[in-house]
Amino acid sequence: MDKDSAAIQKKLQAELEQFQAGQKDFSKLVQQRQILEGQLNENKCVLEELDLLKSENLVYKLYGPVLVKQDLQEARQNVGKRMEYIKKELKRCNDTLETLEKKQDKHRESLQKLQQQYQVAVAMK
Amino acid sequence: MSGNKGGDKPEQIDLTKLGLQQLQRVKMEFETEMNVFQESMQTLLKCKGKYATSKEALEQIKPDWENKEILVPLTGSMYVPGTLKNVDSFVIDIGTGYYVEKNLEDSKDYFKRKVDYVQEQIEKIDMLQMQKSQFLNAVHEVIEMKVAALQSKQQPT
Repeated sequence: MDKDSAAIQKKLQAELEQFQAGQKDFSKLVQQRQILEGQLNENKCVLEELDLLKSENLVYKLYGPVLVKQDLQEARQNVGKRMEYIKKELKRCNDTLETLEKKQDKHRESLQKLQQQYQVAVAMK
Repeated sequence: MSGNKGGDKPEQIDLTKLGLQQLQRVKMEFETEMNVFQESMQTLLKCKGKYATSKEALEQIKPDWENKEILVPLTGSMYVPGTLKNVDSFVIDIGTGYYVEKNLEDSKDYFKRKVDYVQEQIEKIDMLQMQKSQFLNAVHEVIEMKVAALQSKQQPT
């Protein structure tokens, strides 16, 4: 019986480590998603602003410390493209988060099972 | 078996049916969310302040300031004299490295819009925060109830 409980404990430990690693990845991804969402929002604001402009307004883009004059139409296109890219990234991030969450749920389940088994094994001693 | 409080929960899930562990998890999730809200709130307030100061600065500027003498700060404690030219043209940072040249009225309008926008977001977050904290309180209550029930069950043995 003692051997049994020790084996279960070992399994439990391994499972727990996997779960914790998953949890770490999870929070990292959530952080990444937050950054992406922030960027998307900022770009949205910029695009809205650019759309409000009339053709006589001058647009500049910051390259390093210098402002370079930009074509308004081009600027709109650029921001639009960037938003597309960020949206794609965001979707990818969400997808991996979803699969990871499913994986974590499975881990949680097996952890619970192992815990119960362990308790039974200890009680049988 | 349990003193069911019934329908006064803000959401459809019956909290009393959840296990203690699940409740703890829900609680943790909500607490982290609340933290995020608080952080965003602070950033938003800071943003609003920045936009508001820019707007105030613009409101000081009058169209007849052309050729007015000013002192331009080179460092925090050193200034050189200069003259104002082109008082009806301002370059505004609209984010992600884009700058736009606008006249005085449009610039003021820009900052006004931004202040309003940020205020809107602040109100939204305020609402969400209130809802969440109500729900969190409900979760707290149920957890306490469950713990109390567990304790009273354990005592006789």
